[in-house]
Amino acid sequence: MAKRVIIVDDSRAVVATAELALDEMIGSGIIEFKSYLNPLQLLAALQSGSENFDLLISDVNMPEMNGLDLARAIKADDRYKTKPIIILTTESSNEMKMAGKEIGVTGWMVKPFSDEKMVKSIKMVLGV
Amino acid sequence: MDTIRLLIVDDVEDNRLVLRAICRKMEGFEIREAEDGIEAVERVEEWHPNIILMDVMMPRMDGFTASKIIKERYPEIIIMAVTAVVDPQMEENMASIGVSAYIRKPIDKEIIRFKLQSFASLLRAKEGTFKSLSEKEAMNPFSKDIRNFKTIFGITDADAMMDFGMWILGRCEDCMAISCTKVDTVIELFYELMRQGTCQEKWPSIIIEESFEEIFVTMKCEESIDFQPKAMGLLGELGSECIVRANIVSIRLRMQCGSKVALKEISKETIPEPLPIPVVAIKAQAVPNVTASEPILAKEVRVIQSVEKELLRQSFVHKTTAVEYVRDIGGDVLDEIRDLASLDEEWRDKLHILEEEPTSQNLRNFVDGVLGVYVGAINTLFEFTALAYALSALGSFLKENSSMIADDAKKLKNLIMLMEHLGADLASWREHIFSLQDAGDIHYLDSSFFSSCMQIEGIIGDKAVETDDDNEMEFF
Repeated sequence: MAKRVIIVDDSRAVVATAELALDEMIGSGIIEFKSYLNPLQLLAALQSGSENFDLLISDVNMPEMNGLDLARAIKADDRYKTKPIIILTTESSNEMKMAGKEIGVTGWMVKPFSDEKMVKSIKMVLGV
Repeated sequence: MDTIRLLIVDDVEDNRLVLRAICRKMEGFEIREAEDGIEAVERVEEWHPNIILMDVMMPRMDGFTASKIIKERYPEIIIMAVTAVVDPQMEENMASIGVSAYIRKPIDKEIIRFKLQSFASLLRAKEGTFKSLSEKEAMNPFSKDIRNFKTIFGITDADAMMDFGMWILGRCEDCMAISCTKVDTVIELFYELMRQGTCQEKWPSIIIEESFEEIFVTMKCEESIDFQPKAMGLLGELGSECIVRANIVSIRLRMQCGSKVALKEISKETIPEPLPIPVVAIKAQAVPNVTASEPILAKEVRVIQSVEKELLRQSFVHKTTAVEYVRDIGGDVLDEIRDLASLDEEWRDKLHILEEEPTSQNLRNFVDGVLGVYVGAINTLFEFTALAYALSALGSFLKENSSMIADDAKKLKNLIMLMEHLGADLASWREHIFSLQDAGDIHYLDSSFFSSCMQIEGIIGDKAVETDDDNEMEFF
C-alpha cells in the first residue's frame, strides 16, 4: 500500500519542485503525495481525523504558523506522535535545529535540495 | 524653513482647484491663490511666496508680465510657468526673465509634485548650507579645538543628501584631505542612515566642524539611531575614526597634506543616486534645530571595532512585521505594488502563449515583459532586493537558454508549470505583506523563494543544485 507523504509549504514553487523530485515514486505507487499551503488547514484536518500521513515534510517560515509550532502541535496528539516529520527549510542555524530536535522531528533538510537527496531521505525514513 | 509658501496663479477656478488638490497631498506647503497677474503681484508683496505656479494667458495682466515684475523685485522667488499653449518663443522669453520651469497643460500631477519637491529641497538646502554659528562648543566628540564656524545641512530628502555629498567631496578636495575611501564610506553611511530616517520620518542634520588638521562630520538625529546591518558594516569599516552615541554619529576625517587623491573620479559613484528612495517617504520637514552646546555624556561612547563587525551584522537583524513595514513605506509605493495584481493575469497569459507556441521568442517575451516589470517593482523596495535578484537571475538564465528550452517539450512543460507556481507565490507574498499584512516577518518567503529560483534553474538546466556533502539530511 502506498505510503502517504504530505508536504506543507506556503510556497507553491517548493511544493511543485518536491513533487517533480518524487515523480517516480509517485508514479510507481510507492507513495501518494498530498500538499498543503497553509499549516493551519493541515492541522485542522489532522485534528478532525479527515487527514492522516506516514511522513510529513514541513517548511519552517510560513505566514500562518511556524513549522516548528506545527510539528509541536502534531507531536502532542497521541495519534501522530510516532509519525515521522522532516523539516525542509532554508534555516540552518543550530538553535533552530536544536528546537526541532527537542520537539521530536525526525530530520532536517536544507533547501535547495537535489532530487536524489530528497528521494534518498524519504526512502530511508519510510523504509521503502 | 518650516513651510514652503506656494502661490497658485490661474484665472480659471477649476484649474486652481486641480493644482491645489495636487499640492495638498504634499506636506510642508502653505498654499494661496491669485486670479490674474495683478493679483499675483499683490500677493507677492503682502505674502512673499517661495514658489509660484503661474498661468501664462490671463486677463488684466498675463503671466509673463507678472513674472517679469516679480523677478525684478524678488529674484529669489521660484516661478514655474504652467500653460496650455505650446509656444517655444514664450518658453524662451520666460527663461530669459528667470522663470525656472515651463510646464505644459494638461497637468501631469507627478511632474508638478516632482518639480515642487525638488525646488523645496533646494530652498531648504540653501537655508541649511553655509549657515555659520558663532558658538565654539563642539558638536563632535573628538575635539573641542575647532574653528569658529560650522556648516549645517538639514537633511530632508535625497537632494539635500546629494548637496551634502557634493559639498563634502568638494571640501575634501579643497583641503587636499583624507583618504578617498573614508569619504566614500562616510557618504554611504550617512546616506543609509538618512534612508532609514526618511522611512521613519525622522530628519537628521549633518554638522561639519573643522580643526586645522581634521574635518569632523557629525550626523544628529532627533531620536536614537537604530543601526541596521548595512549601516553597522559601514561603521565597522570606519573603525576608531567613528564615535557613536544614542542619536549621534560622528566621523573624523584627517587631512593628509600633499596626498591629493582622485576625488573627482569617485565623486559620481560615491554619491548614491537619489532614485532608490521611496518618493512618498520624502516629506518636507523643518530643519531640526541643532544647538552646538548640547552636553554629551561620556558613558555613551561606543567605538565600533572591526572585529565586532560580523557579530553586529548578525545580531542587528531583527524581524519586521508586515504591518510595521507597510506603515513605513507609504502610500504611493504601496499602490504601485498593489497594481502588480493586474499582472497576475498577464503572467498566466504569457505562459499560456508560450505553451501554445513554444518559441524562444515567446519565452523571452515573458522574461522581458511581465517578469521584468515584477523585478523593477520589487527593486524599488529596499527590503526585498534579494527577491528581485532571485527573479532577475532566473530571468537571465531563461533568456540565455531560451532556444534550448523551447526545443525540449518536457522541460518547457515543467518550466511553465513551475513558473505558474512561482507567479502564484508572488501573488500570495503580495497579499500577506501588502494587503492582509498578516506576515509576522516580512522576509518569510525570501530565502525559500531564492532557493526555488535556484532549483528551477537546476531542473531546467540539468544542473545539480549547489549543495555541499554535509548538506545531506540530518537525522536526529
